[in-house]
Amino acid sequence: MSATSGTTSPRIEARGVTVRFGGLVALDQVDLSVPPASVVGLVGPNGAGKSTLFAVLSGLLAPSKGTVLMDGQDVTGASAQARARRGLARTFQHPELFPGLTVREHVVLAYRLRHTRHRIWTDLVTAGGFRRAPVDEDRRTDALLAALRLTAHAHRPVSGLPLGTSRLLEIARALAVDPGVLLLDEPSSGLDARETDELATTLTGVVADHGVSLLLVEHDVELVLGMSDVVHVLDFGVKISEGSPAEVRADPAVRAAYLGADHGEERTSA
Amino acid sequence: MLSYVVAGLALGAIYAIAAASLVVTHVSSGVFNFAFGAMAFAVARFYYFLYVEHGWPLPLAAVVAIGLFGPGLGVLLYAVLFRHLRLRSPLVRIVATIGLSVALPPLVNLVLGQLVNVTAPGLAPQPVAVFRPFGTVVDMNQLIIYAALSVVLVVGTGLLRYTDTGLKVRALVDSEALTAMSGVSPTRVSLGVWAFSALLAGLAGVLVAPTAGLSVDGMTFLMAAAFAAVVAARLRNLPTAVAVALAMGVVTSVIQRYLDADSALSAQIVPSVPFLFMLVFLIAHALRGRAGDAPAGGALDRAIRAEAAGAPTATNRSGFVAPLVTLGVVACLPLVLDDFWTGLTGTGIALATALLSCTLVTGEGGMIWLCQITFAGFGALLAADLTANSGWPPLAAVLVSALCVVPVGVALGLLTIRLGNLYVALVTLTFGLLAQNLVFLRDRFYNSGQGIYMPRPEWALDNRTFALLALAVFAVLGLFVVNLRRSTAGLAVTAVRWSEAGSRTLGLGIVPVKVLVSAVATFVAAVGGGFLALAYQSALPDSFNPFTGLVWLAVLVTVGARPVVGALVAGVAFAVLPSVFQTYLPTRWAEVPVILFGFGAVMLARNPEGIIAMHARQLRDLSRWRQSRREPAIAQGDLA
Repeated sequence: MSATSGTTSPRIEARGVTVRFGGLVALDQVDLSVPPASVVGLVGPNGAGKSTLFAVLSGLLAPSKGTVLMDGQDVTGASAQARARRGLARTFQHPELFPGLTVREHVVLAYRLRHTRHRIWTDLVTAGGFRRAPVDEDRRTDALLAALRLTAHAHRPVSGLPLGTSRLLEIARALAVDPGVLLLDEPSSGLDARETDELATTLTGVVADHGVSLLLVEHDVELVLGMSDVVHVLDFGVKISEGSPAEVRADPAVRAAYLGADHGEERTSA
Repeated sequence: MLSYVVAGLALGAIYAIAAASLVVTHVSSGVFNFAFGAMAFAVARFYYFLYVEHGWPLPLAAVVAIGLFGPGLGVLLYAVLFRHLRLRSPLVRIVATIGLSVALPPLVNLVLGQLVNVTAPGLAPQPVAVFRPFGTVVDMNQLIIYAALSVVLVVGTGLLRYTDTGLKVRALVDSEALTAMSGVSPTRVSLGVWAFSALLAGLAGVLVAPTAGLSVDGMTFLMAAAFAAVVAARLRNLPTAVAVALAMGVVTSVIQRYLDADSALSAQIVPSVPFLFMLVFLIAHALRGRAGDAPAGGALDRAIRAEAAGAPTATNRSGFVAPLVTLGVVACLPLVLDDFWTGLTGTGIALATALLSCTLVTGEGGMIWLCQITFAGFGALLAADLTANSGWPPLAAVLVSALCVVPVGVALGLLTIRLGNLYVALVTLTFGLLAQNLVFLRDRFYNSGQGIYMPRPEWALDNRTFALLALAVFAVLGLFVVNLRRSTAGLAVTAVRWSEAGSRTLGLGIVPVKVLVSAVATFVAAVGGGFLALAYQSALPDSFNPFTGLVWLAVLVTVGARPVVGALVAGVAFAVLPSVFQTYLPTRWAEVPVILFGFGAVMLARNPEGIIAMHARQLRDLSRWRQSRREPAIAQGDLA
């Protein structure tokens, strides 16, 4: 569990975030917060700005306006790696894996960056490359690989892994840093129905057992509505709805965004 | 002044033709042709063969050499090499063309004969007519050069903009995959592009030969100058490349008006003008964030490329047996060979240490640095200077010199962090060329080609002891590299190499990791340079020419850029094989090893992993096949 759990501040929060690419407004005054030990869903049609918001929250993209806070502290100017060290981890819509490493090495690297970061330097002078891994590291790595059903792939290089397996590996790697908040960008894409159910169970367990906060971007709206405590809906860079899954499901603006304006009005009048 | 401008425009026009050739092939195939100089040399040499050596009429010799042989060479090279490169990684694309540049000139010399101090004719009839308009002097060769550039620009622009062929070429530039899906054969279009490009290379080679000389060095300088214009044009803007090439020619010429022709400064500054141009434009592009990897092709092409870009498909954790056996064999060589061959082996081992830096920076870090030889040169010269002029013990001087060179490598690493692969290669090559012209050729180091005397330690004066000492140093540094690869730092280096976004969101800083690789690789290169100086017993600036460094890299990557023993095998082969050929085969065969090294690099287009990894894989496959044959036999025996 993160060292900051127990505070009342949201784990991560966007306030009035605006992103412009030239004349295009990709995000317009978006507010969003992820409370501790909760699951927050972020949905919207293609091009709504979900991935852009993820990039801003994770520090890969600077907003044109607005602020990002982690545990109540302004991190708008902080780099992606600085935010990661504060407990933020994420996955990508197109998995960002390291083809030169095996599946297991991905998790090992992430674990060491969190728990034995000094080894980047000390291994060079202490022949660390020739020493056996510590028991704790082995145990945690094996557990994560097992939890994400990656044990059979542990010693494979990641090139050629199916998309679904790559996504599971990204999640395992993200969990290996013991994050306080985890941003998942379409984690179920490439998984079949059974794998999606198993992933949902795993993620729910992570939230319940470790107090991790999840921000979930998904095209599988049912998965998001089923897992999330709160759901935010973006459309063309503007937040059009926020509330519990039931409230969002009933929101005419959301129906209009997904099904078209006529359909939304029809349903509303009905 | 006007006469300087006129001469400068002629030089710039040749640069412009060369730059046009490079741009056309780069944008259409994604290949930056480091073999351009070699192709220009091949055509110019063939023109000389026909016109001078066989007395063909000038127009006929020109048409056959430039108009037929040049395009034919382009078509042949496309068929055997360039067509395999489009989907390869940037490293393989660069090294394969470097391999071609290494192999082609000696192959041409082998077939057509070696020339020494040749005065090459241009395209003007002899004697060359001279005109004196507006009080300045213009000769027929210069007029032909202006006309050639005009024709190239008019025909090239017309072809690209107003013809069906041009439309197909532009479609190919945007997306090879979609071009193919439109019913147009990308192969036929590419053949045409490479034929045209080779024609331009040949034309530039023939035109530049009268002033730069019909030599590999002259053509290489032409290529390097054209690189500067192409970099200024961000690798794809043809009009900018032509304009900058012309400006560069004029500046190179006009600056000579203000420099003392006999001064050492003039000899250093004038050849450096194109590289200074390149440096200025590279810095400008980098500051504006416009020096990343340009995405070649469309989305479909990138999706296809991702599958074939050379990402590892098997783990690279090799055992210790093969490396130990290799190390043992090399250790035995000084014990069983005579003094001459032991000396060469020692030089090869020293070179292997320098190559180990390429293993680090390119094999591990994925950074295509073409200046490791320059760091080796800095290490050698500094160590020799400390030993000869300040009385330091040789080994201490090597160590301290290597540490002193590290900040230079770190600075270069920091400067190139945000650059794309090709720009990094060009920046580091430019750095090496500038260091060669502005530092290594200074009297203090060059000493009329003699370099600086570098004595060996008193207890390692003989070749055998020195070779074993060099091997011990290589083994220590090799172990360090293996430890780094298997350590947390090695995992971090690999992570940063393959995905910066993925690394950063794990909390891994890009800058410290790249600085670490830069620092360690620079240190190892400088130690290797120091040991090369000890092997030669002199720090010779000519030994550290950046173009020789390209051959080093080609040999290393051919053998295998990642295995530590790859550096050892490459170093010893590079040092010993030429002498084997010179000693045991006819003199005519002396350059065959260089041709083999070059073609070895060319073969990377087919086997990007290098020879060692390829053979290791073949051995594994053979072992699995034998095992699979044995298992059914055992099963049948059990059943019986």
